[in-house]
Amino acid sequence: MCEHDQCTSHAGQKPDMRPVYPKAGSYPHFAKLVDTQKAQVDRKVFHDQEIYEAELRQIFGRAWLFLAHESQIPEPGDFLRTYMGEDNVIVVRQRDRSVNAFLNSCPHRGNRVCMVDAGKKARGFICNYHGWSFGIDGGLRGTDGKVYDSDATFDKGSIGLTPVAQIASYKGLIFATFDPDAPSLEEFLGDFTWYLDVMLDNDEGGTEFIGGAIKSVIDCNWKFPAENFVGDILHAFWTHQSGAQAILGGGVDLGARYDELAFQASVYGHGIETNLDKVGNTRTLGYPELVDYVFSRQKAMADRLGEVRARMVGAVSSATVFPNFSFLPGQATFRVWHPRGPDKIELVVWTLVNKNMPEHIKELYRKGVMMTFSPAGVFEMDDGENWEYSTRVNQGFVTRQQPLHYALGVGTRDDSRDLPGIIHKGSLNDANQRLFYTRWAEFMRFDNWHDLQNGETAPPQRMAQRQAAE
Amino acid sequence: MLDIARPFSDFTRYADADTERQVTRFLYAEARTLDREAYEEWLDRFIDKDIRYWMPDMETRRRDDRRGAFCYGEAAYFDDSWDELHVRVKRYNEPSAWADNPATRHAHLISNIEVFETDDPQLVAVCSAFTNVRNRNETDQDIIHGRREDVLRRHGDGFKLSRRRIFIVQNVLLSKNLNTFL
Amino acid sequence: MMADALDMVRICDLSEIGEEILKVSLEGHKPLGVTCLDGIYYVFPDTCPHANESLSKGWIEDGRVVCPVHFAEFELGNGAVHNGPSGCARLTFYECEARIDGLYARLTS
Ligand code: FES
Ligand code: FES
Ligand SMILES: [Fe+2]
Repeated sequence: MCEHDQCTSHAGQKPDMRPVYPKAGSYPHFAKLVDTQKAQVDRKVFHDQEIYEAELRQIFGRAWLFLAHESQIPEPGDFLRTYMGEDNVIVVRQRDRSVNAFLNSCPHRGNRVCMVDAGKKARGFICNYHGWSFGIDGGLRGTDGKVYDSDATFDKGSIGLTPVAQIASYKGLIFATFDPDAPSLEEFLGDFTWYLDVMLDNDEGGTEFIGGAIKSVIDCNWKFPAENFVGDILHAFWTHQSGAQAILGGGVDLGARYDELAFQASVYGHGIETNLDKVGNTRTLGYPELVDYVFSRQKAMADRLGEVRARMVGAVSSATVFPNFSFLPGQATFRVWHPRGPDKIELVVWTLVNKNMPEHIKELYRKGVMMTFSPAGVFEMDDGENWEYSTRVNQGFVTRQQPLHYALGVGTRDDSRDLPGIIHKGSLNDANQRLFYTRWAEFMRFDNWHDLQNGETAPPQRMAQRQAAE
Repeated sequence: MLDIARPFSDFTRYADADTERQVTRFLYAEARTLDREAYEEWLDRFIDKDIRYWMPDMETRRRDDRRGAFCYGEAAYFDDSWDELHVRVKRYNEPSAWADNPATRHAHLISNIEVFETDDPQLVAVCSAFTNVRNRNETDQDIIHGRREDVLRRHGDGFKLSRRRIFIVQNVLLSKNLNTFL
Repeated sequence: MMADALDMVRICDLSEIGEEILKVSLEGHKPLGVTCLDGIYYVFPDTCPHANESLSKGWIEDGRVVCPVHFAEFELGNGAVHNGPSGCARLTFYECEARIDGLYARLTS
């Protein structure tokens, strides 16, 4: 019943309340559903319940997952509730100003101890069921009533909310993992931090999330939106024609220098596609003042990040941090696609701005995200149905045996550009999506981080190191 | 009273029966216009140029949390002026608005209408509740319930909507989108 | 008067007392909580009247002792309960007196 060996030797004397972090396994038969040679993905990965359970174990049980922005919980006791996969967690600022996160489940009968979305200066969390009380450090402070006073086996000090195995921040973004053996967050992100900095470090003052979040439910497999943001600008022309028409009075524009500039970059399955067109995404927010603002900062941003990344800040671009954290540079929307079974997600959306931006610019970003990438936004409105039906059709037994085509841009690998990660030429390309699924297959196949960090999706230097070592 | 961030204070003076009937007809006609997806017409006939149209996200907070369920200036589904509503309407007018092509079947049900006088004879304050049903394709159905706090301004014989605060009962929107107005 | 003064028990050195809650265990008495705010000393049972948890693991906030477990708040001096779980009794405060050689309190109810 319990994995600790102490349990058997002291059976019946005292419960062993130490946290349990599940071990990964290996699912080579699932990994094979991604065929890199033929550039194909088997539709079962969008439908099968067993594969979904394996994803929760192999991916959401191990990967670093996005929790929150530091700015959401500035003071000790400030907290919010979110998910890591299907696991509900409380993220709370500690008295020493570090951040910790705990499973939102009471070790007594399992009830949630925190029901609200967020709050300020919590003193702790009291479970509604029997009144067990936990400090913001997760420790059990006490119980309701005096019944445990005389119970010799009751060891308050050994009971608490289960903390995540590791928690860390990258430039304001807090991530955590349930795997004690996972490499550091920076290792997990690898060279992708170079691209994250486009949004997180284009100004010395750092970033913040605007308050509140929009949450919605889409009946689709979580990988469809994740792959969409990792590299599918192709859909914008058809799916978002109406939104572009409403806001711009014309189509989506990738800039005059597309052939020369546009590329996709991928590192460990994280990916970004960009057109280096300076303001294409920002323009679609519909406020010319924002476009002027981004233009006005080009020089300052270039001094800070270099010419290439300064062009990325407002460009037509999209990105996913594997597995389920996505954002649109330029539009400033950051989002998590929480899995809810093979055919459902809960989407949470925030707006990221630089702390130093003037208030009216922040306000325009807030409204811009609301007007575009929000449930009533003119772009997001048309995404959901595509992902829902790409998922739902696979209920058809014969339908889901049919191949899917992920082969756009095979052979466009570009090693000539001095950019981090695996680079492909042109943003209209399935390359990042192929690498996203290759990463997915690595998580299915490998039960250890050495293999996970040295597979096909590892950035080129890592591959070079590996080859030298062999 | 036209400040979108301010909740209705307790209006006590009910409007007279004529005004109440006029307002009720206005809201029903508006709902029927939205049911027909006649969005341009909706803007023209029902919406004042100074409209503030706000629908915040509804957070779950402890009762003793002073912030409450929503906060003006934070995340919202709508926080629109006339121009912003117009952008949304322009999308509906495109044949490639795929989430509306084929057409969505709408039912905007309005109830619990209460009409109050305000200190400004040109303005009436209106509380109402709604059920919004959208159905698409074969079995796709979305239902949203909520309440509204409206300020209507007299225009000639009738009214136009000058301010609307919309509070839905959902925390997580249990739909993939919100392809209508409420 | 004289007899009363004799009932006073020495609790601890004044120098030990800060703005935190100090726990003091005396032979023959239940554990005590001791604190000082704005130059006034307070002595009370360490045991929370709600469910016996230790108040010295709590803290002082806005002139109140806050229990760390279910966050009952007790006004310093009169012991009135705020925000307490239902049935939570008020906290007793003992009459006390700072003397040259330490803090003294009358540990009767
Ligand atoms: S389940 Fe939490 S106190 Fe019993
Ligand atoms: S034990 Fe102190 S409030 Fe419950
Ligand atoms: Fe899209």
